Amino acid sequence: MVLVILRRIVVFATTVVVASIVTFLLLAILPGNAARIALGVQATEADVAAQATAMGLDRPPIVRYLDWIGHVLVGDFGTSTVSRQPIGPDIADALGITVILVLTSVVLALLFAIPFGILTAVRQRGPDGAILSGISQIGVAVPGFLAGLLLVTLFAVTLRWLPAGGWVDPADDFGGFIEHLILPAIALGSVQGAVLSRYVRSAVLDVMRDDFMRTARAKGLGTARALFRHGLRNAAVPVMTVLDLQIATLLIGAVVIERVFSIPGLGSLLLDKVALRDLPAVQGIVLVLVVFVLVLNFLVDLAFTVIDPRLRSAS
Amino acid sequence: MRAPTRRTILASITATLIASLALVGCSTGTASTDGEPDTTLTVGLLATPGNLDYTTTAGAAIPQALLYNVYEGLVKLDNDGTIISLLAKSWTVSDDGLVYDFVLNEGVTFSDGSPFTADSVKFSLERVKDNWTANGPAYLDPIASIEAITDTDARITLSIPSNGWLFNMTGPVGTMFTEAGIADLATAPVGTGPYTVRSFKTGDSLVLAASANYWGEAPYLTDVTLRYFTDATAQTNALLSGDINLISGISQFQLVDQFKSNSDYQVLEGASTGEVTLSINNASDAFSDVRVRQAVMYAIDRQAVMDTVSSGYGLLIGSMVPPTDPWYDAELADLYPYDPAQATDLLAAAGMSDLTVAFKIPNLPYAVAGAQVVKAQLAEVGINAEVTALEFPAVWLDEVFADHDYDLSLIMHSEPRDVSVFAAPTYYAGYDSPAVMAKFAAADAADPAAYVALMKEATRTMAEEASANWLYLQPAISLADADLLGVPKNTPSLALDLSTIAR
Repeated sequence: MVLVILRRIVVFATTVVVASIVTFLLLAILPGNAARIALGVQATEADVAAQATAMGLDRPPIVRYLDWIGHVLVGDFGTSTVSRQPIGPDIADALGITVILVLTSVVLALLFAIPFGILTAVRQRGPDGAILSGISQIGVAVPGFLAGLLLVTLFAVTLRWLPAGGWVDPADDFGGFIEHLILPAIALGSVQGAVLSRYVRSAVLDVMRDDFMRTARAKGLGTARALFRHGLRNAAVPVMTVLDLQIATLLIGAVVIERVFSIPGLGSLLLDKVALRDLPAVQGIVLVLVVFVLVLNFLVDLAFTVIDPRLRSAS
Repeated sequence: MRAPTRRTILASITATLIASLALVGCSTGTASTDGEPDTTLTVGLLATPGNLDYTTTAGAAIPQALLYNVYEGLVKLDNDGTIISLLAKSWTVSDDGLVYDFVLNEGVTFSDGSPFTADSVKFSLERVKDNWTANGPAYLDPIASIEAITDTDARITLSIPSNGWLFNMTGPVGTMFTEAGIADLATAPVGTGPYTVRSFKTGDSLVLAASANYWGEAPYLTDVTLRYFTDATAQTNALLSGDINLISGISQFQLVDQFKSNSDYQVLEGASTGEVTLSINNASDAFSDVRVRQAVMYAIDRQAVMDTVSSGYGLLIGSMVPPTDPWYDAELADLYPYDPAQATDLLAAAGMSDLTVAFKIPNLPYAVAGAQVVKAQLAEVGINAEVTALEFPAVWLDEVFADHDYDLSLIMHSEPRDVSVFAAPTYYAGYDSPAVMAKFAAADAADPAAYVALMKEATRTMAEEASANWLYLQPAISLADADLLGVPKNTPSLALDLSTIAR
């Protein structure tokens, strides 16, 4: 068990270092001059060159990389070349928003997928099961941004029940926070919920065919009780694997959903900063995203070992 | 034993549904307006400021939010494009056009409480040359000296007479600062304007609050939130759902019609200073011959481009000058009628059949849509334009604007009174006409009547020599709640002037 965790930590650290180098190199070769963007169309070549020096853009890449990563290791993400403010707090704010959005949509997806998936599995041969299965298939096919636009058109523009976008800090106004969270979380979670329900369905179907289920029922348990007492824990492992993969997808999906709903999360921040060639900020955000996904994967791996004792040995 | 199964599962689904419906049920309440007038406003805008310092950061977003609202200058531009007094009560000009005597308003303070005097004028304008890196510090080059004669009398002496500089004083470079208030321009602006910045979050919102100690007439609106969108549909949806009250300068014109038929909203159509331009690299091998450029003029059906890109909103101008400028010449719009046969003849005369050119456009919706129409029309006369969409601003600025590595481009020039800028030989258009530049210089130094005539002449020469194909003038369309009064219709300056808006 300890060995498993140690090995995971080494892999984790190596991945972060490689990711930081790749991020840095990709941004270093990106066309576009940050100094010229800052000064605009009226600046002369001499102005642009002076600005580049002031921004430290004329130093060799290796010096810039070491300078950057050295500061990041002590928690200093540097100063934005655009806002001229420390980047760390901006990233922290935006990450908080994205995490709330992603986790809420994961919860919504699970709340939908688990009962729905079990129901479609249990009712597999009935006409209702087939209809429900069809519904989830439609959910899989609708992209998140389209779901977002449809939700906005119905609930914000036509019914005016909910705001069309924006974000309210829960500390400022909790009711407003919930109102602003509902539509984007549903839009982001709906596709994942539909996908997940398909996996729940097949996992439950697999489990129901297992020998231990037949044994459980032979002992006198009904389908439902056998499923709840013995089946679901076994069905959870493949579902968790998919969920783990989906969280990375959700982060990417959040970039689009944040755009549709004008939410100032990490995705919006990243796109804004890329457009402005605010390289220190872009590097910081990408690194945080990478670490975030890796940490989640790490936690899911740990969760496996809790759910399934068979995975506890270092095989 | 099957019944409990179904019941349990159905129960959990029902619980989920009820929970989500209950959440959906929390409808958005609008601010109560019982009796009390609603003095709040939320405006939806597209370009977000990266910071709040327009002395060192380019782009129209910062002046749009802060100029005339947080910051003020001696003079301002009203919505019709006329120069009017602001911090200067009045001014006189010497007969030789070199000495400007400004009488300043009394009792003016900055939002930090420090007084505004002639010393502030001297401090602010002298700072431009040394400390400004963006928004045109060169606009104040004609200034030779600034004197604070008394607290309320400031004298500015020019080295050469200049008709343009007072106009430029209405823009960002004319802003008045206090020495105590420049420590943190990027986040904490201090001006004499009717509003102060309460909070700012880049990419999200900028909140303005009425200044407690404003020297002039207090504005009607006390709390104004500028909300920034990246998507025009999200912006109009926010207006339709009541999240915002005003969209100033919509960018996607196909979204306008739904508001025209809705009595809850008003649609205001005004003039902008944005010339949507098919830029021609006059210095490139393909276009150094004036006949080839003229062929591009005859080859393009500008009305068709405008119909496609802006749903027919806008104005055909044929030059770099909008109708709000005194030297606007309406005849130039008809200088080159759509005539593909003429274009083919000109190309043949220039020996340029089967011409292939690099058409590098910014990856902005209007440019992408416009480039398709232009490409098709150029193909009709035998010009093969290879379209490349470059990321804007980063890559377009580098490749097209700085390196002049292009033959054709398509971009809107939104700066006010930028015709002489466009003619500069070092500009990306590569148009090199000493005669035109001499005329612009003479115009700037001439008396007001000759000024307009000379500007007109230079503008006409630029059009005749086909230095660019000015496709149309971008319409300034604002969408607002029906109960809003005094919404600025035109955009003659960079500023979104909130002081006239009421309910």
